[in-house]
Amino acid sequence: MSKELNIWLDNLLSDIESVQFQRRNSRRVRVDVGSEALPALLELLQGRASYVHLSAITCVDWIEDGQFELVYHVWSYETRSLVSVHTRIPRDPGVYLSIYDLYQPAAFFERDIHEMYGLYFEGSPDMEKFILTEWNGPPPMRKDFDGEAFVNEHFHWEQYHPQWLKDLEEEGGGITVRPEDVR
Amino acid sequence: MSNELENIPIRQELEVLQSGQKRTNPLANVFDGLVKFCRSRSMFMLHYCTGCGAIELPPAMTSRFDMERLGIQPMVTPRQADILLITGYVSIKTLKRIILTYEQMGSPKYVIGICSCTVNGGMYWQSYATAKVLRDYLPVDVYIAGCMPRPEAVISGLRELMEDISSGRAESWKKYYQHYDYYLGNQQKLFGEDWQTPTDIIAEARHYDLMTEHTLGEHTALLEKHQKPLEALEMRLSVKDKQKV
Amino acid sequence: MRPENYQAKNHPPSHEFELNFGPNHPGIEGNYAFKVKLNGDTVLSARADGGYLHRGFEKLMEGRLWIQNIALVPRICVPDPVPMEVCYSLAIEELGGLEVPERAQWIRVMQLEMSRLAAHLFAFGGHAATTGMYTTMFWGVADRDLILDRFEELTGGRVYSIYNIPGGVRREVPDGFLERMSSLLDYLESRLPDYDNLFFRNQVFIKRARDVGAMTQEQALKWGVTGPNLRATGLAFDVRRDDPYLVYDQLDFEIPTEPGGDALSRNLVRRSELKQSIRILRQVIERLPSIRGPIRCPIPNPLAWNVPAGESYTRVESSKGELAYYVVSTGGDKPYRVHVRGPSSMHAVQVLENLAVGSRLEDVAQIMFSLDACPPEVDR
Repeated sequence: MSKELNIWLDNLLSDIESVQFQRRNSRRVRVDVGSEALPALLELLQGRASYVHLSAITCVDWIEDGQFELVYHVWSYETRSLVSVHTRIPRDPGVYLSIYDLYQPAAFFERDIHEMYGLYFEGSPDMEKFILTEWNGPPPMRKDFDGEAFVNEHFHWEQYHPQWLKDLEEEGGGITVRPEDVR
Repeated sequence: MSNELENIPIRQELEVLQSGQKRTNPLANVFDGLVKFCRSRSMFMLHYCTGCGAIELPPAMTSRFDMERLGIQPMVTPRQADILLITGYVSIKTLKRIILTYEQMGSPKYVIGICSCTVNGGMYWQSYATAKVLRDYLPVDVYIAGCMPRPEAVISGLRELMEDISSGRAESWKKYYQHYDYYLGNQQKLFGEDWQTPTDIIAEARHYDLMTEHTLGEHTALLEKHQKPLEALEMRLSVKDKQKV
Repeated sequence: MRPENYQAKNHPPSHEFELNFGPNHPGIEGNYAFKVKLNGDTVLSARADGGYLHRGFEKLMEGRLWIQNIALVPRICVPDPVPMEVCYSLAIEELGGLEVPERAQWIRVMQLEMSRLAAHLFAFGGHAATTGMYTTMFWGVADRDLILDRFEELTGGRVYSIYNIPGGVRREVPDGFLERMSSLLDYLESRLPDYDNLFFRNQVFIKRARDVGAMTQEQALKWGVTGPNLRATGLAFDVRRDDPYLVYDQLDFEIPTEPGGDALSRNLVRRSELKQSIRILRQVIERLPSIRGPIRCPIPNPLAWNVPAGESYTRVESSKGELAYYVVSTGGDKPYRVHVRGPSSMHAVQVLENLAVGSRLEDVAQIMFSLDACPPEVDR
């Protein structure tokens, strides 16, 4: 049964024009789809092909292309395969549709992406902050937010300069390569 | 401060301790020693898992390492706790709660920083979300380094604190009152200028007679400017009422 | 003492009130908070409040080398750190096209099951403590410590081992380790009847936990529940069997299920899984000496290793449910994006909020521990 469903799905997906389909192995499928067709594709996968478990939604910030990539990983308990649906949306204004009415776990992932990337999902039940409730800066997971610069600006460091190091320096030695030189 | 409070014994004891004089009554010395001994042998540590080092506390508390034989017990409320264990990294959100908790604890109180992250940020030195040097925000009595320290290390750190208490060296809680301006300044730098806690530290410092020239300063002036009258904490719930749905 | 400007505030009379549950609360697992709305003792609505353990792992990983992140990932889930390392290593191996030697795979399976044993002992020990049965917690923690001793012998670390690296494992199994492991398993197996008598067949526990936090299989699937919590609703699904990784397809084990879907069933599933993990470990101990070969495949210089561009999604079964890593590489020496899908990100937020509604206040802690929610996984 599961084999047939897999073959049926393969045929179906390779027939749809706007969908790029790539089967990696028997349990992993990658699908690239336009952002306007994604909810329909997910509905198809859930309703007709038993992909009922939303494993995760991942957001990737492709800052050079000016795009966010959203990856929806859905798993079928029957065919035992995982379909990763990739789609790209423009980085600005960063608004997309929620799939909460199809998959309820999406609420957490969409909320998470909203606070980490500032990407807004229309129709999501809850776009309030969850983790960064006391954070006033920009969405931190965006590539243009430099975490290290923020840390250097806001936090104080304890200089570690122990006696043994001072002794070494008196003899003319000391640290020759610092971590920041390597990086 | 009203005049009746002038004769409270704790005040006399502190004065004597500060001036370094021995009391004239030999019985009082015995009593002081007894108090210190008892303090060091019944330490109630606050049950607050602030970070990942807390995973080594259950082994340390239960049958194998058994901290209770040293008189150390978990305590659920800050009002009755003596020790605040900061187990690991403190995110900024947690640090606010830690300061609130610390100010609610009754004196004398002690802070132990467990794990490397409390010393200098540890492996989260790059992280935008964690505070780096705990000592900037709270006076710390003992640091236990390691990632994470084994239960033996935790117990040895606690024993060191016990010795410090019985010999009268663990007095860092007074520093919080004496240098309140410094600690408040660091807190304000991180949490914003309008940061305030429900506890009135300056009044408490007056009560304990621990006011120094460092207690008040520019940061406490800023605090007074922003301080709102204290009222019952408001809590909002934005959840949809599930029964109606 | 009351400050001079204190003024009592008059609230309108109401039977409903709101309560902050945590983060500083003994009934909360880890550093996590709840806001509950109550009518008497009954919870009307609950709202999770996380972020107390947020360290920004996903951001940190983008700034560090592939190999440096190995030291970072176990910190994401403190009670059960090994699956984190393994899952991240699997993702890199898939990207880099590395072939892990068979011996290393068996050693990894051994570690994963040891970690599962330790985490389950901790989980139901914690649950027992929320119902006032501290003896079970003391026993569970003490027995977990014996497993940590074996971890220490094998890897050098008690809690965080940092033993799995892309391409294999760091060190060979020490001499005599398997015999000691075998006697530890005998001991743990002999303890199971004791746990049954003390906890799992204890009427106090059964009466407290039955029908508390119950969900149907349909609800569990809808809410994205995985792992032992899903199996407690009767669905025999396990990533180890249905999406096999490492050498789990060569191992013989069962997937225990329970029909109830409540806190009791979830604990009984964990108890049965202890037995299955012991069974798997015995098979590993039997097979490992006959599998010879290297323990890791050669990898490029890890400090200047440009992992080929691509993306991979790897899943493992941790003790709490389905754990997944989505790793994107652009061919650089650092990951471009790492996304951690912790199982508790479902259990501790939506599922807990849904299950708490209608329960009594004293059961909220129990529900949280029975779901085995791990807050650092949510906050990351």
